[in-house]
Amino acid sequence: MSTPAEKLVPGGTAPAVDPAEALAARLRAQYAARITGELVIPAKHGQYVALPQDLDARLRTALAGRGVKRLYTHQAAAWESVQAGKHTVIVTPTASGKTLCYNLPVLQAALHEQAKALYLFPTKALAQDQVAELMALNEAGSLGVRAFTFDGDTPGDARKAVRTRGDIVVTNPDMLHQGILPHHTKWAQFFESLRYVVIDEMHSYRGVFGSHVANVLRRLQRICRFYGSEPRFILCSATIANPAELAGELINTGVHAITDSGAPQGAKQLLLWNPPVINPDLGIRASARSQTTRIAKQAVQRGLKSIVFAQSRLMVEVLTKYMKDAFDRDPRNPARVAAYRGGYLPSERRAMEKKLRAGELDCVVSTSALELGVDIGALDVCVLNGYPGTVAGTWQRLGRAGRRQRTALGVLVASSLPLDQYIIRNPEFFLGASPEQARIDPDQLLILLDHIRCAAFELPFRDGDVFGKEDLGEMLTYLQEHGVLHHEGSQWHWMDDSYPANSVSLRSVAEGNFVVIDTSCGAQTVIAEVDYSSAPETIYEGAIYMVQSAPYQVERLDWEGRKAFVTRTRADYYTDAIDYTRLKILEEQQSESAATPNRAGDGAPTGPDDSNVGTAPGRNYVSTHRGGDGVHAGHGDSIVGTAAGVGTAAGRDYVSTHRVGDGVHAEHGDSMVGAASPPRLSGLAPAGGASMVSRGEVHLVRRIVGYKKIRYYTHENVGYGHIDLPDQEMHTSAVWWQVNPAALDATFASRQQALDGFLGAGYALHIVAAMRMLSEPRDIGRAVGDGNADWFATVGASGRGQLRNSDGEAVDPLALQRFTPTLFLYDNYPGGIGISAPLFDNRETIVTGAQALVAACECAHGCPSCIGPILASDEVRGYSPKALALQVLGLLARHAS
Amino acid sequence: MRLESRLSRLKSMGSDSIDRAESDSKRSIESDPIDSPLRARLAQLQSHGRTTGRHVSTTTPALPVEALAKRLEGKCIAEGVIRIRQRVPLAGTLGGVSLTALHDEPRLPGEPGGSRRHVYIDTETTGLSGGSGTLAFLLGVAVVEADAIDLTQWLITRFAAEAAALSAFADILTAADRLVSYNGKSYDLPLLISRFRMQGLRPDFQTLAHLDLLHPVRRLFGKRWNDCRLLSVEERLLGFRRVDDLPGSEAPAAWFRYLREGQAEALIRVVEHNRQDILSLAVAHAALSQAIKQPGAYDVDLHALARWLYDCDAEEQARALLQANSTALCADGKRLLARLLRRAGHWPQAVAVWETLAAGGCLESIERLAKYHEHISKDLGAAQRCCDRLPPTPTILHRRQRIDRKLNATRQAG
Repeated sequence: MSTPAEKLVPGGTAPAVDPAEALAARLRAQYAARITGELVIPAKHGQYVALPQDLDARLRTALAGRGVKRLYTHQAAAWESVQAGKHTVIVTPTASGKTLCYNLPVLQAALHEQAKALYLFPTKALAQDQVAELMALNEAGSLGVRAFTFDGDTPGDARKAVRTRGDIVVTNPDMLHQGILPHHTKWAQFFESLRYVVIDEMHSYRGVFGSHVANVLRRLQRICRFYGSEPRFILCSATIANPAELAGELINTGVHAITDSGAPQGAKQLLLWNPPVINPDLGIRASARSQTTRIAKQAVQRGLKSIVFAQSRLMVEVLTKYMKDAFDRDPRNPARVAAYRGGYLPSERRAMEKKLRAGELDCVVSTSALELGVDIGALDVCVLNGYPGTVAGTWQRLGRAGRRQRTALGVLVASSLPLDQYIIRNPEFFLGASPEQARIDPDQLLILLDHIRCAAFELPFRDGDVFGKEDLGEMLTYLQEHGVLHHEGSQWHWMDDSYPANSVSLRSVAEGNFVVIDTSCGAQTVIAEVDYSSAPETIYEGAIYMVQSAPYQVERLDWEGRKAFVTRTRADYYTDAIDYTRLKILEEQQSESAATPNRAGDGAPTGPDDSNVGTAPGRNYVSTHRGGDGVHAGHGDSIVGTAAGVGTAAGRDYVSTHRVGDGVHAEHGDSMVGAASPPRLSGLAPAGGASMVSRGEVHLVRRIVGYKKIRYYTHENVGYGHIDLPDQEMHTSAVWWQVNPAALDATFASRQQALDGFLGAGYALHIVAAMRMLSEPRDIGRAVGDGNADWFATVGASGRGQLRNSDGEAVDPLALQRFTPTLFLYDNYPGGIGISAPLFDNRETIVTGAQALVAACECAHGCPSCIGPILASDEVRGYSPKALALQVLGLLARHAS
Repeated sequence: MRLESRLSRLKSMGSDSIDRAESDSKRSIESDPIDSPLRARLAQLQSHGRTTGRHVSTTTPALPVEALAKRLEGKCIAEGVIRIRQRVPLAGTLGGVSLTALHDEPRLPGEPGGSRRHVYIDTETTGLSGGSGTLAFLLGVAVVEADAIDLTQWLITRFAAEAAALSAFADILTAADRLVSYNGKSYDLPLLISRFRMQGLRPDFQTLAHLDLLHPVRRLFGKRWNDCRLLSVEERLLGFRRVDDLPGSEAPAAWFRYLREGQAEALIRVVEHNRQDILSLAVAHAALSQAIKQPGAYDVDLHALARWLYDCDAEEQARALLQANSTALCADGKRLLARLLRRAGHWPQAVAVWETLAAGGCLESIERLAKYHEHISKDLGAAQRCCDRLPPTPTILHRRQRIDRKLNATRQAG
């Protein structure tokens, strides 16, 4: 949303009684020990310039009508850049008037030359906001420019009018991909006069989604060439490290970047908050959830409009329940607290946004869904329940509070996840960090192939055409061999009766959302949607599925029909899925063996391998690769949360999931990750080095085996259930480490100890890799398995490593003929999204970084911040899991020394 | 690693076990050597990639274009374009239906009479989902002449021939023509417009008048029949059933097969299917025109027909139709009849219909009667009784009070 410049008064003069400042002061006074760092950003004055000389008089009138008589400097810079015909990307903070940067040139061109523009927003909601904004400007100046949204909700009879009469068409990448480009002939007039393509919220086009969108834009550019137009791109982004680079990769050409904001900003205060330690031996802290709830309650009690961000949909529901228990006890009063997340029906979300704008809600609990520019009005306090995983994401969420001429307060509450703990204990790292790079890989083979199919459907390719960086001729030949293309003369024609765009989803791997149907009162009402990839872990039979913190129980899951039938329930627990993952190495592409002789013997079985820790480059890795991964945030929180149940729960709670994935599972994740490697690797033994690191292709099978019932507030396990769902399989790429069996035998007293060491080392490596490789939070997974495909390892109920065969049955490590533990970090996307190569290239830094992380951790024998949570009983197991992990890391590091 | 095998593996998202995935990918590498590394990678990523293009059946030798043209009794008018022309004498029959009905120009309600030439049109396409990757490989048109149907089909046998076929089609059209199709408004015509644009040709024909027979058929029979496909029209309106017809859905595969392998048997059947569609279209047009003249004989939805006539300003015709069939009408039909009678000032007949409806509990008719008795017959007592039969909405209560006042005034005056 652009804020008219004149409406903002320079900040910094707020009186000391500012309510957010008062809350901050109170928190500081009461909980000084929990605040590990803080940041005060003073208010900033705006920098203005006069409206451009060449701006149309009607636009001046329109701007005056909206209270804008001059521009911020960045708006003027954008105008000049666009008028000079440059592709332009604008990167400035929230509420800095980005929309004017593109609306002005677009409206000018529409008024002067009947030029058309296409606006792309990542979601439908944002598109609708934008049209409302344009209409306001349009009316203020009686411009007569027609702007329409075109998306799945546009009625059939209105579509023709949009195509033929719209000056500005506002849509989303999915609609462009499935509804517009494949029907480009219907849009002929539009494409012929298309002058500008506007891409807002560009930072959301990263990872897999961004790689898809880059290909959709390649297709768009190809269609425009067919109609003889060459539109300029205007992109806008929240702060990321590499805006010009990302913009360039998205549109495949050079882009001029404007990064200096001229907009004024209100003052901001940020507190970094670490929950108190409640069990120093186990390194267990109070849950982030309880701290978040406490802070948010205080804010609401003081009359401050608040937003709480949680890392998972499940955590949103849990926190909403806690907040509602405090503020919405009387059903006769309108609700003061609401949840907002993906999966709710669009109408429900719109209603929520409206209430937020109108100030009818005091607190909203949200996932990252509200991180984008949905207009929700002004908020005072933002509480982050766990580190969002990226510096950029953290600032974006914090930016949700403080749009007004008041001080805004942000509180980042750390979970016990390692990444959170690292950041909270080293506040200078976060506070001084620059935001991350956004990465995409538009030439990822499967994604590229999908879009070549779509592009071939839209227009025949000609010999010699280029589309992406792979050899197009080869790709086309491949498609011809598979019967969808036909090479005739110099052209490749689509020859299939399918509509390829329908089978390509930009946002997820597999097709088909699940609908959640409430059958409570005999009727069948759709209450939510769940995407395919998260269905197995959220709507299995027996699951408690929450909507606005009202629990529903899944009675039946129709997997083929993509439906989950639920009924209202009064359960006092929620459910959390348990999964395990097996990996098999298919092909090794790169490998490096340890060159130095095995010195493993010098590490005493019960002590840390100090020689290696000493040589680790200290905290260097920190400064270069912060970032890490939001996904983690999901787990640790709950690991801590279960602290109360330490004595009683059978220890299973401390098993952490190995996926850096979404927070839902991660919490209490009992995930059993296993792996298997091909027989040939068992021949590793003769190699001279201590260890070997490789990169290549793997096959992965993930199975959801059951779920736990967890009682509210006490977080004790109150039961388990079995889940019978199809395995999820994928082929992807991975980096894996193996240790020479001789070195292994020489280093560890028992196979059990070696295994525990591998699991702990894997945990630490995973953290460091996630911090280094950040592209999207759920992009990396990890597993420990064997070289003979015989077993995979999990942390069992005993808190120790346990081997299981492919049927999930326990295996005794001593009964194995060969024992070659293999530690995998894999690219968590079919085909890989380009993480394994940089992982391999950074293998040394990652291993030394993991060593430093573990060695520097304050815990005695291991904790969720280094090698993973351990059990109370571990203190009597006679050896330190932390020391074992350091020994394994030492062996892995040696190959590089 | 080879691209093809990599792709086939990447795509192995099914329920295959690890071992099977491995052996599959091995097999594909061993038994199907591919010299391109990229394609090998692709194949590996897509383990169960489709192989429709690979199995080439060699039951019959490939049929060259010239031979195909001969089989179809057509001729090649441009490279890859076969034109098939046929004259079907009106003296003959189609599926047992005499074609003589085509002597008279068919006319549907609201159509001006006149000398427009009707061009019946139907296409066969490479897919049903639309989009710019779908084209019409066979385009057929027919015009009715004094003693015969003149039918022309253009079949393309290669992609490059499309522009020539489209131009040939455009060439036979004149500005005074009227296209007649079946579902052409939402399917054939938009697709042809799209193809003209793809080929850089101007789709001038899009301004021609166009009658999509699906719409009147739906209007008159939509409530009577299970579906309104052309095959149902043949069966229920024309009274015949096709024998050995190739379903339209198999048309794309038939054409692809000819392009890939030169196998023409199925394609020849598609040409026949298209010919049949166009002839049925012409006959159906005449039959519809006939059905409108004799609705009783064709089980036409009388209310829908009357409504259609009324919408086309043929109010008297609509009334006459309903009056002639008044006993066979549905409630909606009766209401329309009463309305038309009222508009024409035929009060007694209108009242009779309302009373029949009112007896069946039709509130609208009771209200009509109340109004009639209050304002026309001035039988205020009857008007009062009607009001009492209606639910006490504010409007009704208001009317009732007004009638009461009038009654009192009358009594006092009397």
